[in-house]
Amino acid sequence: MKPHARRLIAGGIVAGVLGALASTALAADIRVGITMRMISENGQKYGQMVMDEIGMINEAGGINGNMIQATLLNDECKSDKGVANANKLIFQEKVHLLIGSTCSSVTLPIVDVTAKAEVPQIIPHSTNEKITKKGSAWVFRVPVSGRYYAGVNAKYVGENIGKRIAYICAADAASQNDCEAMQAQMNSQHGAEAVYVAQVQEKEVDFRTHMQKIKSAGVDGIMIAALAETMARALVQSYEAGIGEEVRRIGSSSASNSPVPAIAGDAAKGVFFAAAYAAADTRPIARLFNEMVRSRYGIHAPDHDFSQAYDLVRIVEIALNRASLSLEDGDLAADRTAIRDAIASVKGYRGLGSGEISFCADPTPQCRDGNRTAVLIAYSKGGEDYVTEVLARVTMPEDFGL
Amino acid sequence: MDFDFSSLLAFIMFGLTIGVVYGIVALGISLIYSGLDIVHFAHGEVYMFGAFFGLVFSSQMGLPYPLALLAAMISIGLLGIVIERVFYRRLTRSGGGYTVAGMGMIICGFGMSVVLQNIAFLIWGADAEPFPVDLGPALEVGDITLPRSYGLTAIIAVVLMAALHLFLKKTRTGLAVRAVAANKDIAFLMGINVPLMISVIFGLACALAAAAGTLIGPMQSVQVEMGYLMLMKAFAAAVVGGFGSLPGAIIGGLLVGIFENLGAAYISPNHKDIYAFLLLILVLMIRPSGLFGVEVRVKA
Repeated sequence: MKPHARRLIAGGIVAGVLGALASTALAADIRVGITMRMISENGQKYGQMVMDEIGMINEAGGINGNMIQATLLNDECKSDKGVANANKLIFQEKVHLLIGSTCSSVTLPIVDVTAKAEVPQIIPHSTNEKITKKGSAWVFRVPVSGRYYAGVNAKYVGENIGKRIAYICAADAASQNDCEAMQAQMNSQHGAEAVYVAQVQEKEVDFRTHMQKIKSAGVDGIMIAALAETMARALVQSYEAGIGEEVRRIGSSSASNSPVPAIAGDAAKGVFFAAAYAAADTRPIARLFNEMVRSRYGIHAPDHDFSQAYDLVRIVEIALNRASLSLEDGDLAADRTAIRDAIASVKGYRGLGSGEISFCADPTPQCRDGNRTAVLIAYSKGGEDYVTEVLARVTMPEDFGL
Repeated sequence: MDFDFSSLLAFIMFGLTIGVVYGIVALGISLIYSGLDIVHFAHGEVYMFGAFFGLVFSSQMGLPYPLALLAAMISIGLLGIVIERVFYRRLTRSGGGYTVAGMGMIICGFGMSVVLQNIAFLIWGADAEPFPVDLGPALEVGDITLPRSYGLTAIIAVVLMAALHLFLKKTRTGLAVRAVAANKDIAFLMGINVPLMISVIFGLACALAAAAGTLIGPMQSVQVEMGYLMLMKAFAAAVVGGFGSLPGAIIGGLLVGIFENLGAAYISPNHKDIYAFLLLILVLMIRPSGLFGVEVRVKA
């Protein structure tokens, strides 16, 4: 054999051994794909927090000796990008678990992708109730479903504020769901019909005509269901139209996001909303979490997007520790199923969220909407250094609103 | 809802205050179109930059609001001149004079729009920024509550339009600008520095967009994505008024503003942006050159 042929063979053997070692190392990783809305400052920071928390799990020895290899992608709250991210993560990265998304309008189509590909999906933020009503056996929701939020809001509004409510509903999936569910609950709980309903664009900027009409109609409250910045603009313009503070402003769940008080300023004062976490929570775990987010990410008071992302990582950690995984490429489907079953076995997780989070095996909203407790929060001060207070905490029956 | 005259007045006032802003942006678009033969698709982003510059001058540098507005106009006007000299002029030259040659200018405008939006994203991020301007308590006119910023917007807009009118009609530079807009070759033969006048036109149009951005900021907050919808409404205003007509742009802006507010109030409150484009279609069906339209010229 000629020397260069020998060198070629030797090189081939070395490359083969290295390749095998690399493939073994790759197979030993638990691959987790994440798609989130990371176009806002908050979005980038809670995305980073998820990565940091996973990094800390790895530093502490990983999951039963296996590292978590996380890939974080930005879907910009756009459904086409979210679906593209999901496909890339599932079919190219071959992830064992998919986390995401933030926005309901993105999560809804991804549910179909994960159901078809049979990949477990765990949701950090999206509240639209249709997500779990699709009946996918592969989806789990950490946040509180919109149906529970609507129930809590409607109960409080009907008993404490009045029944003449006007609605401004933005076109995104979460806001549409919050608006419709609230109207349905006001009707079923209190027999109250909506006084005024306006459907607006997702990024509407001019609400003055609506506010003038609402002012003329004479209402007890205005529900503004919109993403944070749109909601903040509507709040400011409601005061500019001369609607006094005696008319209470009710926010959808995105009222929890810090841009609302930051942009709305004084107009945020008195706005209340149902959420899954209150920064005003006095439990030691919440105090520590607030301090950690403040020092690590510079967030004055973390909202429920942060707490839910954090709780999600803890639930994933519990489930991965429980799952029996081979992590061989040939066992990808079996590993995905094992992770799904392990998540379904999580019961009574008590973390930062407003209530215990429990899942079960049936692909029904009762089993897959993990958190049934909403906390009713009001802003007592707006601006960058906003302050919140807790009005109530309510746990709903699992089949409420179905 | 029962008919209520004071509400009708309020809707018209809301329409006027937003309409003048549409009109100012449309004025810039028409100015560029009539002077440079360019449909400037990046004008929404210029408007957005103007809003951010106004915010920086007002909130971060502490300038009084009118001075911040002036500073934003000057800065963005200069930025506009740079954009025209560095990017657009090469294309218009290579395309044959200052006429549109093929799709180059249109694509360049779209490209500039994306570039400007991404630069703004890198500087200011994606979050909306409040633009607080304390002008005192709102005015109560009968049952209508009008924040002073609305009135100030209308006054400043009228002043800007009057100043532009005087500039174009009463100054030698204005005369030169009009000559360039009418015919560049003859203007050149008459000894007018055509490239300089084109820079003046572009700078003026961008300064107007900056004024619109700074005026709208206190009403709607400031955000990187704010340019797109304004561009669409301003195009609607420019087309309704007659593309290339400066008075038409203003009238078109006012009509679009009033029509969309009355539509939302009396037809359906849902998705009121539709009304601007409904008006656009109606006007084009009845009078394709727009209300004050000049003869449509076929571009080279």
